[in-house]
Amino acid sequence: MIDKKLLTFPRIRLVLVLLLGLAGLQAASILGQACFLAKAITDLWAGQALSEQWQWIGFFVLCYLLRHLILWRKEDLLDSYSRQQAQRLRQELLSKVFEQGPSLIQGQGTGNVTTMALEGIDQVEKYLRLILAKSTTMMVVPWLILAVIWYLDWRSGVFLLIIYPLIVIFMIVLGYAAQAKADRQYHTYQLLSNHFVDSLRGIDTLKYLGLSQRYARSIFKTSERFRRATMSTLKVAILSTFALDFFTTLSIAVVAVLLGIRLVDGTILLFPALTILTLSPDYFLPIRDFSNDYHATLDGKNALTAINQILAVKTTEITKVSLPAWNDQSQLTISQLDFAYPQQSKSLQQLNFQAIGFQKIGIIGLSGSGKSTLINLLGGFLKPQSAQIKIAGQELASFAQPDWQRQLIYIPQNPYIFRASLRDNIAFYQPQATTAQVEQAVKVVGLERLVAQLPAGLDTQIGEGARALSGGQAQRIALARAFLDQSRKILLFDEPTAHLDIETEVELKERMLPLMTDHLVFFATHRLHWMQEMDWILVIDQGKIVEQGTLAQLQQQHGAFVQLSRSLRSV
Amino acid sequence: MQIFKLFKRDSWVRPFLKKYRRSLILALFLGFMTYFCAAALMFNSGYLISRAAALPENILIIYVPIVLTRAFGIGRPVFRYAERLTSHNWVLRLTSRLRLKLYQTLEQDAVFFKSHHQTGDVLGLLSNDIDHLENLYLRTVFPTITAWSLYVFIIIGLGWFSWWFGLAMLLLFAIIIFVFPLWSLLANAARQEQQKVLKNQLYTELTDNVLGVSDWIFSQRTKEYLTAHLANEQHLAYVRQTLQKFDHRRDFLVQVVFGLLTVVLLGWTSFRFPGSHGGAANWIAAFVLAIFPLVDAFAPLSQAAEETNIYQDSLQRLNQLTLTESGQPPMDQTIPALKGPLTLEVQQLDYQYPATAQKALAGLSLTIKSGERLAILGRSGSGKTTLAHLLRGDLKPTAGQVALNGVATWQLNPEISQYIGVLHQSPYLFHTTLSNNLRLANEQATDQQLWNALERVGLKQLVAKLPAGLATEVDEAGLRFSGGERHRLALARILLQNVPIVILDEPTVSLDPITEQELIETINQQLAGKTLIWITHHLQGLSLMDQVVFIEDGRLQMSGSPQELAIHNQHYQKLLAIDRGI
Repeated sequence: MIDKKLLTFPRIRLVLVLLLGLAGLQAASILGQACFLAKAITDLWAGQALSEQWQWIGFFVLCYLLRHLILWRKEDLLDSYSRQQAQRLRQELLSKVFEQGPSLIQGQGTGNVTTMALEGIDQVEKYLRLILAKSTTMMVVPWLILAVIWYLDWRSGVFLLIIYPLIVIFMIVLGYAAQAKADRQYHTYQLLSNHFVDSLRGIDTLKYLGLSQRYARSIFKTSERFRRATMSTLKVAILSTFALDFFTTLSIAVVAVLLGIRLVDGTILLFPALTILTLSPDYFLPIRDFSNDYHATLDGKNALTAINQILAVKTTEITKVSLPAWNDQSQLTISQLDFAYPQQSKSLQQLNFQAIGFQKIGIIGLSGSGKSTLINLLGGFLKPQSAQIKIAGQELASFAQPDWQRQLIYIPQNPYIFRASLRDNIAFYQPQATTAQVEQAVKVVGLERLVAQLPAGLDTQIGEGARALSGGQAQRIALARAFLDQSRKILLFDEPTAHLDIETEVELKERMLPLMTDHLVFFATHRLHWMQEMDWILVIDQGKIVEQGTLAQLQQQHGAFVQLSRSLRSV
Repeated sequence: MQIFKLFKRDSWVRPFLKKYRRSLILALFLGFMTYFCAAALMFNSGYLISRAAALPENILIIYVPIVLTRAFGIGRPVFRYAERLTSHNWVLRLTSRLRLKLYQTLEQDAVFFKSHHQTGDVLGLLSNDIDHLENLYLRTVFPTITAWSLYVFIIIGLGWFSWWFGLAMLLLFAIIIFVFPLWSLLANAARQEQQKVLKNQLYTELTDNVLGVSDWIFSQRTKEYLTAHLANEQHLAYVRQTLQKFDHRRDFLVQVVFGLLTVVLLGWTSFRFPGSHGGAANWIAAFVLAIFPLVDAFAPLSQAAEETNIYQDSLQRLNQLTLTESGQPPMDQTIPALKGPLTLEVQQLDYQYPATAQKALAGLSLTIKSGERLAILGRSGSGKTTLAHLLRGDLKPTAGQVALNGVATWQLNPEISQYIGVLHQSPYLFHTTLSNNLRLANEQATDQQLWNALERVGLKQLVAKLPAGLATEVDEAGLRFSGGERHRLALARILLQNVPIVILDEPTVSLDPITEQELIETINQQLAGKTLIWITHHLQGLSLMDQVVFIEDGRLQMSGSPQELAIHNQHYQKLLAIDRGI
């Protein structure tokens, strides 16, 4: 009844014991309530005056209040427990997401990740609250009620006992059918959720293709498909509720009729009969409650499964290696590095190279040659299948090392600009930077004109949905981040200027070069003019380093580099 | 109450109410019958056993109650099942309409969509507002109307026995039906508002930061962010806790009122139906037992009312969206299809974005003849992209005109896509198969045509190597493919689209020069005879163009054939030198 996954939750056993205790009390008050009400009604039926019934009515009211007080207490207990657990799960989920980074998010979809962290966990919280409350009540209340009914009239007891497993069997059979359907529905739901957001994201592309208006039909159709999927799940899901409803209500009717017939015979008296009749809805109430919320709990259960899947993504245990700060004497050796994307033909094979001190290393190659993959490996976002990596004499399995990443600044083609003030964006790596420092960074990277244009200067909100920036401006912000954090001595550039116009590129280059001094630089590009600034050049083609050396060496060798640059220039 | 006022002006939900009215009324009727049968079952059973206890001489006397007991026993589950299916189906139909409407509203503004909405906001709109409206019906509107009709029925029924008791019950039930719901609504409005604001903030903030995750990892500030996020989360949890506490207390009080109702009913029936071992006293159990099933109908009303606070905002936000988003009104008159060679004529074009001080484009004149290949050069921010929007008619000129064979392009929308195709800076790949992505451009395209197009953009080999070929699923935003590959796939779409004029809005920026050059050659070969308008800031491939124009700060600076410029223009010469590299 209770998912095994839940039993691994902290303190769950204590909570269960408490809930079972409260359920026992609840059953006692339900019994009292029924007996005293039946007593009062029987006496009135027998012609006694109302004034003689006050004590029974008083007891009835007491039991009735007690029952609902217990319920109140129970709800509070469940709320606080499930809230704590939801918080714990959310923390674990987000830690995982932020630890795994882009690869996980790309696989799951940004929308899914955020929905899961917010809505998904809320659903789990609800699920926890419902399942604990309903299942503990179901374990105790019906059986105590049944015992009393049995004592009053064993025949009704037998009937009610026999009908119960019948109901449960129906529920399980139909529940399985519903579960199978719900599993499919969850997938459809995810598809739909992504489909709608996906369509909104690509809405400009749709417009250019002249499809955006017609595509509305696809939105509607997908939504209608979702409706049909949901309805067919619901038909089954509430079919089990229907069967339950049907059996319980009919059982009450049957109990009433049987009691009526035996009352006519005189084999039973009104008081026990009335008590049994009053109690029988309460006998079935827990199981009805349980199934009423059953399909609401499915959402939570599914969400919990999805969350657990993410939580189960293996964190390859990194044996942390403490690395000294990179300086002009440091040495990095990479030999026999192999890497392949899962299920893709792209790979890097047998890379060997060295970096010493504050070298500037250019990585040149055509797009798709593996430049970005190499930068991602160096950043620790990807882990090589095998490699011998040695930094300052220490052997590493990959670059996913806190001590290494702490020294990095990564500047991709499209640096992400947060929806925050310009100042916060610039000071992202150095949040404690002073205004003077930020202003200096602005000057160094040439953002003064932008700052002057912004209504609130440095404190203007930028980022998606706020004020859009040009590619050059975003690049400058990334540079300013690098400038502010001088303790990071390693710069990774991944085609930073490829998408900029030549004039902007030239301006940016002027700003970038001074920042590169006294840094170890890895600069992936296909723009030849950068090679003049590099101390060492790796020429990459189809996942292999086909040539490496200084610019002068490479130009002399008339090898791959010369060929590449000739073909680049021939156009 | 505000929700009713909102509902009056609403253009999101009300129109659909009329559309599916019959199933709406059916759902409400079925809801009423469910509770009616439930109460009737206990009423009848109570009478049955009391009557039986009075030892009737003949079993036939209780025959009718016996039959009725069974009928009500079966009626309740049947009505309930039907009611739930009907109401859910109705609500989901409404949801489809709402999603469609949301999409259509945003579609009007599609090209500029990204700068107006943060993706997280739209997600919030989607999953909160529309889902909330779903729940508004399932959890509030249906149960409330059902309960009200039961209330009317009960009061009239009891009033028939005794008008003063009917009046007393009218008041007692009113506590449950009106007082508690109203109290819940008013007492929690502020807290719920706060809860909602916090939740929306969390959505926006989380989306933003999930998108920028690599920077968090590199800056090694993830702990800091997570702590901040969880603190916000906890704040939300606290507000929620207060709300839950209120609810539990109120639910208890509602039950107390029901207890009171039971006692009052017991008292009244003992006076109204006096008897000894039967007679009128048989009715006592009937009336008293019937009250318990009714708790299910009335107790949830307060919670339901409280929730309208959430829906109110959703309704408001969606309605506001309609007002602010309406871009160009759709053209009513159909413009006859343009025939013959298409000439784009730009005359004294001015464009100024709303709420900006400077003109983005000023006094621009250009003629682009059919089959001409024109390059528009300029640095980013110079107004090139604005010009592209104006050429395609996505923007309406502030002054001057852009006309295609004499018809203003902004009036041609959406038919313009039959004449002008766009390959823009960030082509989007949808989260579906490759072939679906390509077929967006031409639904009738055969697999062979798709492979052809892929071959022409140089992707045939790559796609052939993919495990599922054309049926390969594209990840979110096409991240499986490199920037260059994404652009090439988009070009394949353009090739499939087959339009006479193609605007290339810096499409090749992320390609390396060799591929870029090859691609430009492909474009020139494959699109030979078509008008090409190539917006660029690279010099690659300019030699293939008939004419080059420079735009700076929204004005035309120089123009000429590439050969002329290379000989006579210093600025152009300087740029060429940089582009050459070493």
